[in-house]
Amino acid sequence: MHARSLRFTGPALLSLATLLASPAVFFAQTSPTTSSASSSSDRWLHVRVISTESKGETVRVNVPLEMAEKVLPAINKDRLHNGKVRFDDHEMNGVDVKALLDAVRTSKDGEYVTVQGNDSDVRVAKQGGYMFVHVTEKHSYNDKNGKPSEKSRVEVKIPMKVVDALFSAGKDELDIVAALRALSAHGGDTELVSVKSDENTVRVWLDSKNVSD
Amino acid sequence: MMILAKLGLGVASTIVFASVYTFREGVIRVDVDEHRDGGSHVHFWVPAAAVPLAMRFVPTEHLREAASHASEFMPLVQIVTKELRRYPDTTFVDVEDGDDHVRVSTVGTKLQIDVVNPQENVHVAVPLTTVNDVAAQLAANAPGI
Repeated sequence: MHARSLRFTGPALLSLATLLASPAVFFAQTSPTTSSASSSSDRWLHVRVISTESKGETVRVNVPLEMAEKVLPAINKDRLHNGKVRFDDHEMNGVDVKALLDAVRTSKDGEYVTVQGNDSDVRVAKQGGYMFVHVTEKHSYNDKNGKPSEKSRVEVKIPMKVVDALFSAGKDELDIVAALRALSAHGGDTELVSVKSDENTVRVWLDSKNVSD
Repeated sequence: MMILAKLGLGVASTIVFASVYTFREGVIRVDVDEHRDGGSHVHFWVPAAAVPLAMRFVPTEHLREAASHASEFMPLVQIVTKELRRYPDTTFVDVEDGDDHVRVSTVGTKLQIDVVNPQENVHVAVPLTTVNDVAAQLAANAPGI
């Protein structure tokens, strides 16, 4: 009898172990707090587009920068290869962007371009390690304060290190992956792009949250 | 009597192992509801473990044809699914346009796609490991390999 009991012990223990393991395995599939969960130090790029036209379209995109860094080099389509975008020289109208940026990088903080026109204002500046580009388009009519009414306002704020990384590849290439790495290394929450117009509001920003507000 | 008991234990163990394997791999869930008259309502759950197994029975020429069309994107799919597993319970894309709503997210280790509009509701949830396995099998069957 004892020998018979022993013969059953093996399969019985195996079954018991399996039964005990099954909920753990099952919950490992569904639990949000798995060990592979993203760490709080992950940097997220958020894009939000709100259209006020017709039905009011809203687009929210949340991308972990680390994932983008790994996925982009795998996309080889049209001008995008190995995380780099190739552009033709004639598209830059003969402007040597690399030389231009090199000049900006080595210059002191300040306002480089200020254009105030009837239909638009443009401001390009470097300050505190950031490059700022502000473009304001104006309506032909004035607002209640007597100033030209704003048609659209574009504000771009890019860390200089990201700009450097973007142009760190060949002469006619933009290194998107290097720029993403530089963005990852950039600490703190950063508002990169803000566009406000009569029809759309666009916001691109960087933080450590995996949800947009 | 003892033989029957052993047999019973063997069957029970097999069922338990099969259940554990099925749950480990997860299930593929598809829900489609068309809101028009006579519209179809499709709801099914398939053990994800069955998919790579079923693919082994697909004739090689069909698999090669599918692979030739998709081979360009298979490495990308494999990388994306591998990376997505690191971000459980996250909404990656959310688009609202009036009554239309599209959402691409991860729920645990599943990729979930929800499309809700006045014409139809579609909800698909696929374990990321299954997508990765299928991509790997298609990549392995791509012409020239």
